[in-house]
Amino acid sequence: MFYLRNKLVAMLVLLMAIFIFAACSSEEESSTSSASESTLTTILERGELVCGVNDNLTGFGVVNSSGQFEGFDIDFCKAVAAAILGDSSKVEYVPLTASARFEALAANEIDMLIRNTTWTASRDRDLGNDFTVPTFYDGQGMMVKASSGYDSIESMSGTTVCVLQGTTTELNLDDRFSTAGIPYTPLTFETNDPLQAAYEEGRCDGWTTDKSGLASKRAGFANPSDHVVLAETLSKEPLGPLTRDNDSEFYDVVQWVVFGMMQAEESGINSSNVASMAGSPTDPGMARLLGVGFDGGEPPDFSFGIPADFMQNVISQVGNYGEVYDRHLVPLGLTREGSLNAQWTEGGLIYAPPFR
Amino acid sequence: MFSNLFQQLKTQETTKKKLEVLFYDRTFRKLLIQLVFSILMIVFLFYLIARAFSLELGFSHLGSRAGFGISHAFLIDYSSNDSRWQAYFVGIINTIRVSFIGILLATTLGVLMGLARLSKNFLISKISAGYVEFIRNTPLLIQIIFWQLVLLQLPQISDALTFGGISVWSNRGILLPFINSVENGSLWFLILLISLIVTLFVRSYLNKFREENVNFFSPNLISLGFFLLITIISYFILGIDLYSDIPSLEVNEYGTYIQSGGFLLSPEFAAILFALVLYTGTFITEIVRGSIQSLPKGQTEAAQALGLSSYQRITLIILPQALRSIIPPLTNQYLNLTKNSSLSVAIAYPDVFMVSRTIMNNAGHALPMLFLILITFLGLSLFISMFMNFLNRRVTRIGA
Repeated sequence: MFYLRNKLVAMLVLLMAIFIFAACSSEEESSTSSASESTLTTILERGELVCGVNDNLTGFGVVNSSGQFEGFDIDFCKAVAAAILGDSSKVEYVPLTASARFEALAANEIDMLIRNTTWTASRDRDLGNDFTVPTFYDGQGMMVKASSGYDSIESMSGTTVCVLQGTTTELNLDDRFSTAGIPYTPLTFETNDPLQAAYEEGRCDGWTTDKSGLASKRAGFANPSDHVVLAETLSKEPLGPLTRDNDSEFYDVVQWVVFGMMQAEESGINSSNVASMAGSPTDPGMARLLGVGFDGGEPPDFSFGIPADFMQNVISQVGNYGEVYDRHLVPLGLTREGSLNAQWTEGGLIYAPPFR
Repeated sequence: MFSNLFQQLKTQETTKKKLEVLFYDRTFRKLLIQLVFSILMIVFLFYLIARAFSLELGFSHLGSRAGFGISHAFLIDYSSNDSRWQAYFVGIINTIRVSFIGILLATTLGVLMGLARLSKNFLISKISAGYVEFIRNTPLLIQIIFWQLVLLQLPQISDALTFGGISVWSNRGILLPFINSVENGSLWFLILLISLIVTLFVRSYLNKFREENVNFFSPNLISLGFFLLITIISYFILGIDLYSDIPSLEVNEYGTYIQSGGFLLSPEFAAILFALVLYTGTFITEIVRGSIQSLPKGQTEAAQALGLSSYQRITLIILPQALRSIIPPLTNQYLNLTKNSSLSVAIAYPDVFMVSRTIMNNAGHALPMLFLILITFLGLSLFISMFMNFLNRRVTRIGA
């Protein structure tokens, strides 16, 4: 009996010691991680890009029936891998939750994060990361039943709106309705499943979240045409890839791969004609983008620590911005015409600075 | 204490031998282990405290504008322009509301089912048994979600049942006709409650008085008169103008159905209430059944021999005695019900936990917020315990 008790005490002491050890060692780990070498060098040495993504948002990042990651965000991971390593399949995907994503990036678990993350001032300032160019301009929207006849937020006076708890959407919703003096009742759910049930059964008149999310959910309904997403946007939600703070080499690569894909679309280069375009570029700008000489001249000498013809790999293996968009987002019903995600030449915000 | 040990140490010559003596001394060994354990514990605590202080503690963030709406506000008004404190209090009141009504209903259900379980009627007894076995052995969270989905199957608001214009039933909620006062809202209800409590005290005093004066007029009638008297007096003194609040359903200019008036039983509130009442009711049923069965059989037989009716037998002989062993475990069930109410986060009923989580998501400061929630639930639980202990003392004293 006494022997047993001593054994118990000894075990408790041991447990305590392990706790303290674990607490101390985890602290050391996080303090050393920030002073690491350039991410670009790490990726080249490792021969693989580690990308933090969503695995549960149809169209943006999802695991398909054959177990492969696919989606709009996933394609940008592939593009960066193609640019750096010349092979778009050399990516390891790390599925992350919304709450774990920033820590995973800060703790070096992933090289880049592209998980429908909104660029905000406080995130840029406080979380130790840098936002590159937005790949998708989203905005908070409102979905209602087509039969209800609502055509604007103003017409939704006295309605009940379903919203996910603790998101910025909950606050944006109140900002929009309360400041305009429109009476409404928010019904705040912790998870999407009971929210969707409540919306479908008519417990609430509207469902608000990011427009891309609404489109994704709407596409999943038995009869998508019974639901409409109102044209009004309640807030700005620019989504794009993130890298760590003070990692400018890799940051530039990610940023210019995205710009390159936008520029390729603008110049009319796509995955099927990139080879012939690289062989005989029609203008000097196109030659600089593809990293080849124009009219027998020398290839441009600018690069981002990677081969100058990186955009050839990106476009041939992944495609230009428009191809990626058409592949993943058009099936959800997110049309480009007239939206913020159209090329700047067509009134949108997709605008790449000059390649020169 | 260690004189014996010192004696032994002195007799040993080599250090190795001395250490051996120390090691094999049971008292010393235990003391050493405890000392090491305590030191490690203190170091760990200091580490935690130091870590905690490096975080931002304090509740100053609760003073700023909330900025989010809450679907259920009861007794106190709330808008998104109020402070986060106000939002937190709305949450507390929602928790108290569902716990209080839940405790009352669960107790009633439990006592009835407990008596039914012991009924000689086969059907009644088996219904009670089936209820207990089915509800008690399934997870509460699933029951809550189940009730929410069941209530969503009520007609949509455009096809709401109106029962000839006195009540509105839809999956937006059940609106019941209610009595309200023009200026003071539900204040009359509070007055009624206070009158009732005062009357109950008066009645118990009168009952005691009657034990000594057998010919005293019926205490029940006097209490009723007293109750009517103070409610009517307060009604006139406070000048509360009551009106019957009949629910209505209208369509505004945009085609939205607006329900107003009456007493609203929302699907979220009803779902969490039903689930908590049914679930806790099963445990109370078993407590009541066990307590009654633990009474000597002679009590029932004596009551029958005296020619008491079965109602008299239960209310005068059985329940008052069973109450002594019912109350302590009943307290546990009340506490469980109150704590389980935080599961309402799953179905959009804004209890204190849900509101706090929203605040945490908006403003951070998770540690102080969680601490505040714990303190809140601790306060509620201690209040329930205090009340039940008071009740327990009364019951045991009357029996003695």
